[in-house]
Amino acid sequence: MSDDTRSHYDPADHGSAAPSADGAGTGAEAVPTRRRVLALGAVTAGAVVSIRPALAQTVGSVLNCQIPVPDPGRAGSYIDADGRVVPARTKGAFPPSTRPFKGEEVKRAMANGSTLPGVDSERSRAYVKYIRRLQRGQGGFTCFASLQMPRG
Amino acid sequence: MHDSLYRAPPEGGLLVAPLDEFTAVYHRASGITHLLTEPAPQILAILGDGALSLDALLDRLARDYDLTDGDLTDRDLTDGTREALAARLAELVESGLVERA
Amino acid sequence: MRHAFAVRIGPVGFRIGSDWRAPIAHLETLYRDYPKPLDGVPDFTVRLFARRPWRRFLRPSVEIGGDYMLPDAAPLPLRQGLLAAEMAMNLQMALGARRYLLLHASAVERDGRALLMTGISGAGKSTLATLLAAKGWRFMGDEFALLDPASGLIHAFPRLISLKNEAIAAAEAVCPDARMGPLMPATPKGDIRHMVPDARAIAAMDVPARPALLVFPRYGFAPEIRSVQPGEAFVRMTQASTNYVALGEAGFRALTGLIGDVPSVAVDYPDGASAIEQVEALWATV
Repeated sequence: MSDDTRSHYDPADHGSAAPSADGAGTGAEAVPTRRRVLALGAVTAGAVVSIRPALAQTVGSVLNCQIPVPDPGRAGSYIDADGRVVPARTKGAFPPSTRPFKGEEVKRAMANGSTLPGVDSERSRAYVKYIRRLQRGQGGFTCFASLQMPRG
Repeated sequence: MHDSLYRAPPEGGLLVAPLDEFTAVYHRASGITHLLTEPAPQILAILGDGALSLDALLDRLARDYDLTDGDLTDRDLTDGTREALAARLAELVESGLVERA
Repeated sequence: MRHAFAVRIGPVGFRIGSDWRAPIAHLETLYRDYPKPLDGVPDFTVRLFARRPWRRFLRPSVEIGGDYMLPDAAPLPLRQGLLAAEMAMNLQMALGARRYLLLHASAVERDGRALLMTGISGAGKSTLATLLAAKGWRFMGDEFALLDPASGLIHAFPRLISLKNEAIAAAEAVCPDARMGPLMPATPKGDIRHMVPDARAIAAMDVPARPALLVFPRYGFAPEIRSVQPGEAFVRMTQASTNYVALGEAGFRALTGLIGDVPSVAVDYPDGASAIEQVEALWATV
């Protein structure tokens, strides 16, 4: 999230709830008994956001992490050109990486399209696609998620 | 057509902390925190008292507030607000805060 | 594990075991003025180990382990063993802390009240805390601030200050008498050097403080101060806490309490001096 809220800082503002919008003003003074407007929002707007667990940001700063390709749970499987995990020796797919990739290496490859170290560009592309598909619970996901956090 | 009833956690099922235009809500049953903005907190408060159908909820809200759907087109206001409320309810059901019977 | 070291930092006791003497020697030196875990019982265990016996000697490579581990952790060369130990302690806190709500923030104290500074790596949490400590604030920590859900107070966790790249020279200039760890160039996080917090920080580590201001610093911008709305501050802090979800209801109450009681402000700054000036001016208003 960015801190784009551009209200000028005034200590007196702190803690006060934002006053609700009172609908289209008629120009006349507000009638004290006038009811509050409740905006139901447009159909496409949203009113509910669920907070997701946030291990990635802090882990990114406290951990030197690495991403194995594929994850240890599927060791030995191959990676196809789309980054999907396929059975070993599938035609046209790439063998697993001989060593895990460091977080910084993956970050660089994703940022500027450079090749992951020790592999050719086609294989590197497949590996990067695999990494982008990682889900929570799979080995390397936390590392991958922490790479997504801007580091400033 | 069977009219679904919507219900929210009863008294004590939620911790509610208004912050500003956003309200933070902790759902005890799930342990999940949600950030809500108008009209979600108001809907939850009403549905926490007892289950209501979409139309009954709309009526109840219209009694307590001047409703707007935030849409500036020239449509009949009732249609727009009913649709908007249906969308809000769908979100609340999706998040687990409202149960649909 | 033939080498071991125990230390208490604030309310948290650690025991670190290592296959090598060197990281333990560094820890003993740098944490020499710190107390031991309460009653000798640590809260967390850290292990620095070699994955294969011969890796203790051949291109020695330090793997991080302990009560809490992440399979994604990459090993570090032995010359960065101190960094491995510090990262491992951070990992135990990040994954295992349950007594306090962990905020990824630095903290300094004045007159019993705490200033919290939070943000992503590079925003300036460590540097600003160091600069403020040099100006007479009491240093409480640069990585994690511990929020007690029961009292709403901030508890100090003054680990070795982890300085990166340009911040190293800046801190050395401002604190010429500070004790420093080894310079570790070209780590995965850049050049790193650890600084021991001053005697006052160590002596006062068990004194909590009431939070009074939450700052979101941003380095490398023209000076500007902006109010951060409570809703936004709340969400940002849920993302800046590794154990918010794990603490459940207590976490919710603690964090909404903090955001409700304490103003949140974004501070853009081009250099340390500007940051200090803006922060001191803000502090006078709270």
